[in-house]
Amino acid sequence: MVKVYSIPNCPWCHKVKKYLEANHIEYTDFDIEADETARTECYRISGDLTVPITTIDGKSYVLSFDKPKLDALLGLQAS
Amino acid sequence: MAKEERKKDIIIIGGGVAGLTSALYAGRMNLSVLLLEAELVGGQIVNAYSIENYPGFASIQGDKLVETIQQQAESFGAVVDEFDKIIAVDFKAKPKIVETENFVYKTDAVIVASGMTRRKLALKEVDRYLGKGVHYCELCDGHMYQGKTIAVVGGGNAAVDAANFLMKYAKKLYVIHRDGAFNADEISQKRLRENPAAEVLFYTEIKELKGHPALASLLLYNNKTGEATELRTDALFVYIGLLPNTAMFKDLLKLDETGRIVAGEDCQTNIPGVFAAGDVRTKPIRQLTTAAADGTVAALLAEKYLQSLKEET
Repeated sequence: MVKVYSIPNCPWCHKVKKYLEANHIEYTDFDIEADETARTECYRISGDLTVPITTIDGKSYVLSFDKPKLDALLGLQAS
Repeated sequence: MAKEERKKDIIIIGGGVAGLTSALYAGRMNLSVLLLEAELVGGQIVNAYSIENYPGFASIQGDKLVETIQQQAESFGAVVDEFDKIIAVDFKAKPKIVETENFVYKTDAVIVASGMTRRKLALKEVDRYLGKGVHYCELCDGHMYQGKTIAVVGGGNAAVDAANFLMKYAKKLYVIHRDGAFNADEISQKRLRENPAAEVLFYTEIKELKGHPALASLLLYNNKTGEATELRTDALFVYIGLLPNTAMFKDLLKLDETGRIVAGEDCQTNIPGVFAAGDVRTKPIRQLTTAAADGTVAALLAEKYLQSLKEET
């Protein structure tokens, strides 16, 4: 399952989620402002609280909207 | 394998308010419209927490205004693509060509509404602190500094509005500006002045960023007194001006000395059928309302241009 760590009102977080939806990829969104457990997990994954963070296995992750890296992480065909 | 070719009546480059307004008008004229945006749909205002000077809205968040205009445009058939990046353009070809990562688009009319990009802090060590104390988006990253000391550098509306927004997180906030006064709306300045946790440092420049592994302090220089000081801070948010997004067009369109596209109130550039709308063109006043006005003019004149081509054949 794809996980996105984000906060409300973060435009790059919205763009990542729109990209996942445009590619019909299911994901779970974790609001690290509202959810302390998610905040801790986000920090564990990336060493930081900068969002959005997209991950599948909780180890490798993509910071922000980086299309080539997201495509690689999600196994999407390169454009 | 050759890319698929697609034909459009109008291609709009840039998804800020100017571009979205063009898409809305062009869509309502039953034209096939494609808007391409490489970064964030909404452009500069998507980060605006509270817009209070757009007619019709007492107060509205930037992203909500953008969402409304985008939905309006799409309801009339305009297509907004924020994931397919432009890699080359040829406005001298007939028809004009806009090549993206996935397609080759051919069109007779282009509206360039590519807007502006934030100027980066020109210090050699800045990249080391990107995301580790140095930020360009208060909405995205302000939450990281709850209860901390935050500095904002800049003197325009973006800087003052960001400072006002960041007060919800900051224990103490400094606004650093190289001049002796802000160039910002008085109502925003008043909000800042009235906040006891905010302190303004005029005539001040940042000479160095310090700290490891994250930002911990700024070396400041007062350009009026010559005094150098060190300011402890957990974060620095940067709003020091904007640069036009016109690198892709520099060999095609006439640009002024600042890099903006030369175009007047009719939005016409030096190439027939290519229009410039919004902050990216030469104009004395840059506001949301003037961007929307340009988007309107560009779309209507682009349609007239397309009609004139049909009448020639």
